[in-house]
Amino acid sequence: MITSPAATIPVTVVGGFLGAGKTTFLNHLLKTSGARYAVLVNDFGAVNIDASLIARHDGATMTLTNGCVCCSIGGGFIETLGKILDDKIPFDHIIIEASGVGDPWRIAEIALVEPSLRLNAVIVLADASRIDSLLMDSRVGDTVRNQFERADLVLLNKIDLLDRASARAARNAIVSLRDGLNIIETSQHTMPDLPVGPSRIVSRFSASEAIDVANHERQFRRWSYRRNDAFDRVRLEIALEALPPQLLRLKGHCRLAGEANASLLQMMGQDWSLTPADVAEQTGILLVGVGIDDLPDAADLDTILDRALTSTSDVPSISIMNNNSEFQSQGTQFHSLREGQIPCR
Amino acid sequence: MSQDTLIFSARKIVTMNPSRPEATHVAVRDGRIVAVGSFEEICGASGAKIDDRFKDKVLLPGFVEGHSHIMEGMMWSLPYVGAFDRRSPEGKLVKGLPNVDAIVARLQEAEAVMTDPEAPLFAWGFDPLHIGSISLTRQDLDRVSTTRPIMVIHASFHISNVNTLVLKRAELDRATNISGLVIGKDGEPSGELQGIAARFRVFRVLGGNPLSGNLTSADVDRYASSACVQGVTTVTDLHNDLADQTVEVYHAASRRADFSVRLVPALASVSHSQEQGIEKLKALKSSNNDKLHYGIVKLVVDGSIQGFTARLRWPGYHNGAPNGLWYIAPEELPGIVAAYHQAGIQMHIHTNGDEATEVALDAVEAAQVAAPRPDHRHTLQHCQMADAAQFKRMKALGMCVNLFANHVYYWGDSHYDLTMGPERASRLDATGTAQRVGVPFAIHSDAPVTPLSPLFTAWCAVNRVSSSGRVLGKATEAISVEQALAAITINAAYTLKLDHLVGSIEVGKYADFAVLDQDPREVAPEKLKDVAVWGTVVGGHVREAPRA
Repeated sequence: MITSPAATIPVTVVGGFLGAGKTTFLNHLLKTSGARYAVLVNDFGAVNIDASLIARHDGATMTLTNGCVCCSIGGGFIETLGKILDDKIPFDHIIIEASGVGDPWRIAEIALVEPSLRLNAVIVLADASRIDSLLMDSRVGDTVRNQFERADLVLLNKIDLLDRASARAARNAIVSLRDGLNIIETSQHTMPDLPVGPSRIVSRFSASEAIDVANHERQFRRWSYRRNDAFDRVRLEIALEALPPQLLRLKGHCRLAGEANASLLQMMGQDWSLTPADVAEQTGILLVGVGIDDLPDAADLDTILDRALTSTSDVPSISIMNNNSEFQSQGTQFHSLREGQIPCR
Repeated sequence: MSQDTLIFSARKIVTMNPSRPEATHVAVRDGRIVAVGSFEEICGASGAKIDDRFKDKVLLPGFVEGHSHIMEGMMWSLPYVGAFDRRSPEGKLVKGLPNVDAIVARLQEAEAVMTDPEAPLFAWGFDPLHIGSISLTRQDLDRVSTTRPIMVIHASFHISNVNTLVLKRAELDRATNISGLVIGKDGEPSGELQGIAARFRVFRVLGGNPLSGNLTSADVDRYASSACVQGVTTVTDLHNDLADQTVEVYHAASRRADFSVRLVPALASVSHSQEQGIEKLKALKSSNNDKLHYGIVKLVVDGSIQGFTARLRWPGYHNGAPNGLWYIAPEELPGIVAAYHQAGIQMHIHTNGDEATEVALDAVEAAQVAAPRPDHRHTLQHCQMADAAQFKRMKALGMCVNLFANHVYYWGDSHYDLTMGPERASRLDATGTAQRVGVPFAIHSDAPVTPLSPLFTAWCAVNRVSSSGRVLGKATEAISVEQALAAITINAAYTLKLDHLVGSIEVGKYADFAVLDQDPREVAPEKLKDVAVWGTVVGGHVREAPRA
């Protein structure tokens, strides 16, 4: 488990074959961002930003009025990303568009070896209307399948154009690629925001504010965990490991046994951190989680965290999962994969 | 003949012009050829001066290298550590290095003369395949220095080896499982780096990639010098973003009277949208001069065969390796091809594997059906695995091909053993098929990937022998010396749409000559590569090749 230093910039890589909707997603992120994003794109021509939102445009870099910049990778990827890292004011988040025939994981690896960066997520988009045939295509099937191999999140896009049976077929085609893939169904008008971890973006808000999911309740499910108790630190670490991959983020206050002050827990994917909370008077535990729509029942999730409570004297083994073997196998797969992604530094 | 005409006399002039194949005298005025013939025919009553310095030499049309890169000029600022002999722009024969000890010794030599103790030492041209599949380790490079960063770039340009200091500084010194970090026998990183993540990190630590900095006039001069050493008078730079800085350097160099090569840069399609690319080429073309010829665009469809990144048709790689990578998606290619085709721009399309060749042929066919265009001369570059059926499609579509003949020598053995297997390897870079089918073709070096040397490239196409001595498909795919000479002169010019200006010694064309010690047609075919190049004449300006 890595507790990332605050100075690192999260990186999200957006992949997917041609026509999957990468640019639509990036346009959406650029326009709606409340944080300062740097977005690296393959083709400027496709970026469709209202002229009134563009503060500056100097050929290779477009600066928006909300502080975000959008850079063309045309002049060389290594050089372009280098320039972004050298910017005087560090960006809140770097979003990199992988080429339509590229493997997004190759780019994601940069965030694993560059100490000033950390990997937030690999998001791969798929055009629901043709992903099934693309995966079977004799020329590009292997390319498309590779793109999903290390995806944290799949946006199954253009789902609104399909009938129910076709939508299910598209979903199944992706599910069959790999156990434990997180899938969110999207359309041009229902693009999600970036799932972000404990970065400076989130930490601008105090923990008592619920994570804002109002705009996309349809794709995300929320889970609240409230206890008048405290966690045992060691057992909490084990419990966090055991949370299912469908949980994208978790945030809130908690008490730790033997510590006077409350702690702020922030978790995103494989990353979590515990830091002293701003509000010392906070008592008990209040955590809010966001997951995708097949997030297991709240009761199942509660049980996992309950094992870390100080009042739970006898810690049960992982038998808690036994009543849902499918879920467990997904969880196992995901965790072994996550370990594989983390370099031992 | 007027006073400002100069007549070169030579032992022999091989013109590559079928209507007057041989001569002894060529008259030059204003950089162009005004007459070709015998002393009696062109010197008779004229007051022109005669320059007989070539009286013992043989003149050929200046060689045309249809596929090479400006990087050849940039590399030679760094020590070369490849396995084969190579000639530097200074004309020096740089010996190939047969083993790791020899490589370490050359690096030690280079290190000893460096003045700044902090400056990284870069070297290039390493290919483990040619020294018994042994790679360099960080421990090998630590023998050169433990205090100076060292990076050895492979011949493929995609892989590099660094010393322990670089790994430490990049914090890549402990085992990680990112895909580009090769782990040695001891379980620790070996110092071999592949892929973009490790490259990014290392170049950040080293303060930049020595090969991606701004192009300088020294780089361009080295390139021109390399060309002169090999008898090349027209040279491509077949994949370039053509950033403003590059365009400025090219412009300034090409306008110098002493600049000794004609440059043909190709715009890299990947760095521009089609609209931008078309616009840019139009603007650049208007700045052309007699030594700078913009106008062509380069598309890269797949990777390389020996790197297992080329796209192959069924049954794929002989050793069962997974199929390679698309750099342009098959469904995207028709749109790009159609846009440039309709804009009247000539395309040079990199396709190594036969599946990539197939999608390129499909795209050009669709573009031709939608908007027939006579004499487009779209050219497949490398096109190493095409079979007779694909050559027949090229012919039917009016296409040209530029085959990578040097591969037969450098990677013929790996193609035979690993990538293609015996049957397909025997028709690797099928010059014989191209000749029989009637597809206009050139042959090339892709320098600096393999050495810039058209006579060597011609030797490869004539002899079809690999570096281990294996002969590959000579009976059917070898071409004659005469045909090979055409492929490095007039036919290469044809693939660049410059055959009205260069490629033969013919009235009206530029006075561009390769000055040789012997007539390549008169030496034994297996000695073709050993014909000595004295230098060049470009637009009437004589340049003796440096000899170091």
